[in-house]
Amino acid sequence: NKDEEADKLPDSGSTYDTVVELLNQAAVMTKSAEKISSLRKAQELIIHKSSDLLDNFLDEMLAFQSDQSKDVKRFIVGFMEEACKKDFECLPKVMPSMVMLLGDDDVNVQKKVILTVSSMFRLTLAWISKAKQTRAEMKDVWVHLNELKNLMYDFLESINDGIRTHAVKFLEGLTLTLSKRTADSEVPKKNEEDFSVEQMPENNGIVDIASLEEEGRKAFTTMLQFQGSPHISSINLMTVMNSLANIAKQRPEFFDQVVQSFEALHVNLPPTLAKSQVSSVRKNLKTQMMGLLRHSASLDFLPQISTLLTDLGASQSEIAKNTPKDLESRKRKAFK
Amino acid sequence: MKMDHELTIAVVCSSNQNRSMEAHSFLSKKGFNVKSFGTGNQVKLPGPALDKPNIYDFGTTYDAMYRDLMRKDYELYTQNGILHMLDRNRRIKANPERFQASKERFDLIITCEERVYDQVLEDFDNREQNNEQAVHIINIDIQDNHEEATIGAFMICELVTMLSVSDDLDNEVDEILQKFESKVKRQVLHTVQFY
Repeated sequence: NKDEEADKLPDSGSTYDTVVELLNQAAVMTKSAEKISSLRKAQELIIHKSSDLLDNFLDEMLAFQSDQSKDVKRFIVGFMEEACKKDFECLPKVMPSMVMLLGDDDVNVQKKVILTVSSMFRLTLAWISKAKQTRAEMKDVWVHLNELKNLMYDFLESINDGIRTHAVKFLEGLTLTLSKRTADSEVPKKNEEDFSVEQMPENNGIVDIASLEEEGRKAFTTMLQFQGSPHISSINLMTVMNSLANIAKQRPEFFDQVVQSFEALHVNLPPTLAKSQVSSVRKNLKTQMMGLLRHSASLDFLPQISTLLTDLGASQSEIAKNTPKDLESRKRKAFK
Repeated sequence: MKMDHELTIAVVCSSNQNRSMEAHSFLSKKGFNVKSFGTGNQVKLPGPALDKPNIYDFGTTYDAMYRDLMRKDYELYTQNGILHMLDRNRRIKANPERFQASKERFDLIITCEERVYDQVLEDFDNREQNNEQAVHIINIDIQDNHEEATIGAFMICELVTMLSVSDDLDNEVDEILQKFESKVKRQVLHTVQFY
């Protein structure tokens, strides 16, 4: 049984052989599920078990990007992200493949790339910020990424609804990376280690922090406009609402604009939505407003938020339960 | 038809006994890749009176519940169909599964009640999201009794069949859902989340 073989793996000499064997198997397998299973084992070995082998096998793994199966291609996009997380030095080698796969005929491959690009942004900036000296390769990667980024803005206009949804997720990630985390940012545990622009040293020789932040604000404004577009589909609308709410909680500098945009949306839902879509969107709006209400930054916007929630059918007790206690009462509690 | 990517489906109700299991059974007979879950804190089954339900943990096997109820009141639980249901369930899988405890990823999650839909969304809110793939969440209201569960499973199967032939679900789901709604004359809730 091959599963068991991969699990045993005594020392790194034989790990090398096992990876060779797994990649050879994957190359001749015809079913994509089996192929992915072999590739996944190889990924596990070269990224987590013996990461010194990552460099040896990177090209071999990337070669599977031209596989016939879209699932294998999608897997390879995921591998690229994992490889770059493990070792920033993979970024220059992976970037041309990302560009290539973004142009794939299959939209599901394209969508996987779109979701990965914002992570690549984060990793590249971390790479640049940690380098003692900037290198030409870093500049190249940065140029590539910016080309990709420009394409993402174009994707918001795609005729394919799913591509637009995924482009929104990209802009969410971009805004978070290119804006500063502050004391009142509520960042999900998993993203605590994520790089964002306040960790960037000023004199890094490649990127200028002020223009990065400018770019972050542009991404945010683009999302606001997208949310306000009259013929937006219900799925795109809910995705952009959720993204904006995530941004408001993690970057409270945007809190007021997000609350305002939700107020505007509430009184002016897109006329193209079907009846049940209106129910789904209103429900989503209520959920997101409750989430904003729970954030400490909501204290400045309580009247607006509670009015909107009441309009959406929330009860007073529900609102009270989700309202953060003000700082004074917190202090009083601390003294007791 | 041979598909490159098979749709992975979860059907979710409250106790993972009646509505989700009926659909689980129906869909797997049709060859779909389906799992089922419940979002409740515990598994509730009707008891001797409305205010005396039988309550189990999610880890309890359907078989153990079957034997427990058989011992408690064979007549009653045969008559109200609970033993029959548990017998069906134990042939499908060992025990009910709680949605919030599962780390699995799906392409499509179908809930059988608005409260369950809310609980699924609440769980996504608490989950660690990596933004690696999208999942569609759709609610169809189904009353929690045997007849409605049968009709519900039929409707879910109809919907899943329509969705599974789409090569590009993200792009076509809105249209398919509107067709489905007018066909079955019921409204659904629908949203997208990311794993």
